[in-house]
Amino acid sequence: MNTKTWSIKAMNETVIRTEGLTKIFEQGKKREVVALNEVSLSIGRGEVVGLLGPNGAGKTTLIRILVGLLTPTAGRAFVLGRDVTEEIDYIRERVALLPQEAGIYERLTARENIVYYGGMYGIPEEELHRRADRLLDIVGLREKEDYQVKGFSGGMKRKVLVARSLVSEPEIVFLDEPTTGVDTIGARIVRNLLKKLSSEQQRTIILTTHDLNEVKELCDRVGILNEGDLVAVGKPTDLEEQFKAANLEEVFMGLVTGEGVYEQ
Amino acid sequence: MSRLPGIRPDAKMLWLIRKELKSLFRSRWLIFGLIISPVFAWTFEGVFLSFVVAQTTSEPESVYITLEDQGIWGNTLYSQIESNMTPLLIEQLINITREDGNSMVNDRTLSVWVIIPEDFTQELDTNNASTMVIWVNTGNFRATAAANRVDIFAKSVINEIQIIRDLKVNWFTITPEATYGHSLAIFLVMIVSVLAPSPYVGKSFAGEREQHTLEALLVVPMSRVSILVSKLIAGLLLTLLYSVFTVIGIGIYNWSILIRAEGLPPAAMEYYINLYTINPATIPLIFFCQMLILLLAISIGIVISSLARDQAEAESINNLILLVPTMVIGMLGFTGSILQYGGLFGIFVLAIPFTHAILFLNGVLSGAATGASLLGNVAYMLGFTIIFLIIGAKLFEREAIIA
Repeated sequence: MNTKTWSIKAMNETVIRTEGLTKIFEQGKKREVVALNEVSLSIGRGEVVGLLGPNGAGKTTLIRILVGLLTPTAGRAFVLGRDVTEEIDYIRERVALLPQEAGIYERLTARENIVYYGGMYGIPEEELHRRADRLLDIVGLREKEDYQVKGFSGGMKRKVLVARSLVSEPEIVFLDEPTTGVDTIGARIVRNLLKKLSSEQQRTIILTTHDLNEVKELCDRVGILNEGDLVAVGKPTDLEEQFKAANLEEVFMGLVTGEGVYEQ
Repeated sequence: MSRLPGIRPDAKMLWLIRKELKSLFRSRWLIFGLIISPVFAWTFEGVFLSFVVAQTTSEPESVYITLEDQGIWGNTLYSQIESNMTPLLIEQLINITREDGNSMVNDRTLSVWVIIPEDFTQELDTNNASTMVIWVNTGNFRATAAANRVDIFAKSVINEIQIIRDLKVNWFTITPEATYGHSLAIFLVMIVSVLAPSPYVGKSFAGEREQHTLEALLVVPMSRVSILVSKLIAGLLLTLLYSVFTVIGIGIYNWSILIRAEGLPPAAMEYYINLYTINPATIPLIFFCQMLILLLAISIGIVISSLARDQAEAESINNLILLVPTMVIGMLGFTGSILQYGGLFGIFVLAIPFTHAILFLNGVLSGAATGASLLGNVAYMLGFTIIFLIIGAKLFEREAIIA
């Protein structure tokens, strides 16, 4: 197993830092699965970082540890300077998560889904509705705000979920495949929203995706995970150059499947 | 004010409770079930018993009689019964020997058999008390009612004629028991209350996981205990709806009995009303006990739901685990005091927390309970509730809850 770790110097104030982060799942009494293997990285405020990797590479596990849903087996993780195993309440007030298979409360309306979720962050009701107005406008669902989402298409639900994850105005947003199932126009809206959040409001965004064009368009840096190892981190163009590849897809395929020979 | 560790009662919890209730109240079938199940159960029972009242107050029944006493009181009683066959709703008064009667008892073909024993007059003359025997097939409503009419009539005859003497009927009971109406209340309250929260608990815990909404919920800045307690409160508020409709159901039930009994002679009316209806003064205690049962059922459901893979599995296991013991002890409630069982079976029955709901209701409704025994029942149920909630909270804290 490749145990090489990466330690990347962030551009500015570090908001996420992991040191030798490892997660092992026990399956039965004898079998263990290493979901993350000594992953070390730093992410700066306002960065948009894409996590790439095949299914089961450890992307979701990494995000789940950073939001306190999973406890690391070894290593440490700091979010906004706080240890995730010790001060998760502080962290959760300031981060938001859009899970990969995020479900939605089908019997609530689009607005209610956003408002109720925001309410659990302690935001006053009047302010919640102001934020919901703005977010519904941005994702283009204002006209459907009072419809129960059970009648929405998959893409519309995903837009509601993106809006919901932003209602608390988090400093860091973890988005696990935010545009999956969203139509081309919807995906464009979501990407523009994320760009704006990063550039204008200095929000840090960590997203996982299988769409390499999305990574190139959105991400300042990309981390490639394979079988729990962080095998590469850097700006997309730097990685192409580093691995002498024509594009990011070649870099990804080479690192994950072994196609091509790269010199680091 | 002290508070449970990890729980900060605040606006966040309120929002979660609001979310739960709003979502649930849009689930029309769930709400319909919570409203219709108590109303239907009580209405059905009311209609059934009003049919029984009608059957037993207008349909005549044949009565077998054995007159062994050759004295004055035995003959007087016999002749009075014979001349009052119409008001007593006796279709035929059939004279049989004791051997014939015993044979019918053994063959289980008997309806009502009245025996005026050989020493009836002698006992009354010497001891001022005597015993008349009635055999009755209690599986037959009309026979039971006829036996009861003969019983009351015989006492009135003896008391009227022999003022200083009395025909005594000895009632043998271990402890004072609730009436049929109250036994029924206990059974219906138990069965339906235990099962009522199942859809909500399954939906709110296993359902959240199945619908992939739990992961995002667990990331909000609330402790898991606060999330759990909020869901518990939402469940209780939801089942409050069920409790309210139980009270309405009891009202409909009482009304259907009263309507049927209204046209009867005063003594019969009083008898049926006392036997079948539920005293309105006891409804607050029924309501209180029902809330305890609901709380306990929800806490057990949380444990099951935290372990189940999906909502359907949670509901199936929940029903299986709760329904069987509740059915057993619910039916035992009809057989007399639930405290009469000894040995391992008695310990098993007493260990079931829902048994204490029956003891509580039985004690309250029969008026036999002491404050200490009621407190003991409540404490036992609350103790179980707390234990299950702690287990549920531990299960809810597991990483595997989002797997």
